[in-house]
Amino acid sequence: MDRQLAEVLRRLLPDAEHVAVEGFEAIPGGFSRETFRFDAHVTRAGVTEAMPMILRKDPPAVEAILYTSRQTEHELLGALGDHTGLPVSVSYGCELDASVFGEPAMVIQRVHGNGHTSDLFHDGPDVDQVDAVIGHLCELMAELHTADIAKLDVGGKLSDPRGVGVDTSSWDAYMDSTIEYYISSYPDIAYDPIAMVILDGSLSLRRNKPRPLPLAVVHGDFNPANFLYADGKVTAIIDWENTRIGDPREDLGWMVAMDNMSNTSVMSHPRDKGGFLAYYNELTGFDVTEEELGYFMIFGTMNIAVPITAAVKRRVNKEHSLFLHLYLVQPSAPTLIAFAQLLGYPGVQPAPPPEAQPEQRQSTGVNP
Amino acid sequence: MNANPGPDGLLEGVIVGLQEEVLPFVSNAKAHAAVAMMQSILQGVRQMLPVYDAYLIDEHNSMTATLRSAAVPLRDVTGPEADRMRERADTLGKIADLPAPTDRAALIDAHIRLGRALEASIFDLDVLQRAGGHAAAAADDALTVIRGHLGPRVVRDTQVITVGDGVIGRG
Repeated sequence: MDRQLAEVLRRLLPDAEHVAVEGFEAIPGGFSRETFRFDAHVTRAGVTEAMPMILRKDPPAVEAILYTSRQTEHELLGALGDHTGLPVSVSYGCELDASVFGEPAMVIQRVHGNGHTSDLFHDGPDVDQVDAVIGHLCELMAELHTADIAKLDVGGKLSDPRGVGVDTSSWDAYMDSTIEYYISSYPDIAYDPIAMVILDGSLSLRRNKPRPLPLAVVHGDFNPANFLYADGKVTAIIDWENTRIGDPREDLGWMVAMDNMSNTSVMSHPRDKGGFLAYYNELTGFDVTEEELGYFMIFGTMNIAVPITAAVKRRVNKEHSLFLHLYLVQPSAPTLIAFAQLLGYPGVQPAPPPEAQPEQRQSTGVNP
Repeated sequence: MNANPGPDGLLEGVIVGLQEEVLPFVSNAKAHAAVAMMQSILQGVRQMLPVYDAYLIDEHNSMTATLRSAAVPLRDVTGPEADRMRERADTLGKIADLPAPTDRAALIDAHIRLGRALEASIFDLDVLQRAGGHAAAAADDALTVIRGHLGPRVVRDTQVITVGDGVIGRG
C-alpha cells in the first residue's frame, strides 16, 4: 500500500522530487468511508517536509452506506477553501481508478484537533471549552448556509448528487422531489414492518410542508462527530461527502437527531446565546422555529436514513455479511421514538436529554 | 418487536462478524482461542433460544407432575421424610400447568403479515388525508388509532434493544 500511495502522491504533487509514506494505519470510526492516516515525507527543491495526510477510500459497492463521489468531494473542498472561511482539510486529489487502492479514493490533509467530541460533554475533560467550541461551530454553519451557492456548486454536481431526481430549481420543487424520493425508496428500506413509522414520517412531510427558506449548500451530515476542535475553536469540519443543495434547516434537524442518538448536547450550547438554535437565528436571521426544527429533524434524518437503512436491509437479506450494518439496527432504534414523538403518537413521551433547553423538549411540527 | 432481524439473526451476525472482521486480525493465540470460545457460546445461545421457553415450561409441568407422582408410592409410609414428600406434592405439585408457548416461526409469520397490513393501511390513509373533506378527518382519526398502537411498541422496543448511550465508533 505504501508504494501505491507514494506513486499516487507523486502524481498529485507534481513538484515533489521524492515521496515516502510512513505510519500508514486504519482510523477506526467513520461509517461510510474507509479512512487511513499516514505521513507523507515530501521532498521539494531538496527540502523534505512531513505532511500529515488521510486516505479516504470507498468501500465495496454492496457494503456502501452512502454512494458519493470522491471527485465531487475533492472539488467541493477546494471551493470551500477558496470561497469561505470554513476550516476544512486541503484535498490533494483523487485516484478514481479502483485498480490502485481497490476502490476510488482521495487524499486529504490530516488536520490537528481532537475528534473525540464527546470529551466536550457530560463529565468529559474539555467541558470548559464546550460553549466556545459549539458557538464557533454555529458560526461556521451559519457561514455555510449563507454562502453563495454558485461559488460552491462546482459544475452543478450538488443539485442531485445521488441522481435520484431531486430538482433544486425552486424550494417547492426541491421539497416535493426530495420527499418523493423518500417515499418511493420505502420498499428498499423496510426490512421489517416496524419501518412503517418511517413511512408515516415521509408521508406526513408531504402533507405538512413549512414556509420556504432560500436554498443553501448544506453539509448533509452535520452531527456531533463531524468536527475537530482545539483551544476553544473548531479546527476542521469534516466528512463533506453528503454535501448538496438543500434547505438549511436540514442540517439543524439532523444535528438534533444525532445529538439525541450520540448522547451529546450540542443544541444546548452556547448557553450565553440561548442555545444553538437561538444563536443560529441571531446569525442568519432565518428565525427557524421549534416546529420547523421538528419537521426538518424528520426530513434531514430521512436523507441519511434512506441509504443507510437500505444498506441495513441488504445485510438483513444477507447480500453481504458486514457486521456494522447489523449493529446499526440497535443505535437507530431511538430514531423511531423521536419520529413517533414528532408525529404526535399517543403514549410516546421520551425523556428529554438531561441538558436540553426547555425549548428543545417540544417539537411537534408534523402532526398529523 | 423486530421480526427481522430477530435475536437469532443478530447473534448469527455477531458470529460472522467475529469470524470475518476480527479473527483475521488476531495474532495472539490465546486471544484467538477466546474469540472462538465466544463464537461457540453465541452459537449455543442461538440453539437454545428457539426451545428455551418451551423447554422451561415443559420441565416446569413435568416437575410438578413428578412431585405428585413421587408421593404416591409413599401413601402408607409414616415419618417426617414421607410427610415432607406429601407436603411437596400437595403444594408445589399442585401448581397449575403452564400453557405451551406458541410456535415461534408461526408467530413471526403472522406478525409480519399483520405488520404489512398496517403498513398498507398507512399508505391508504395518506391518500384519504390528501383528498380532504370528511374522509380526511376520518383518516386522521384512523391514523391516530394506528399510531396509538405503534407508539408504545417503539418505546418498548427501544427500551429492550438499547444498550448504553451513544453510537459506538463515533467521536
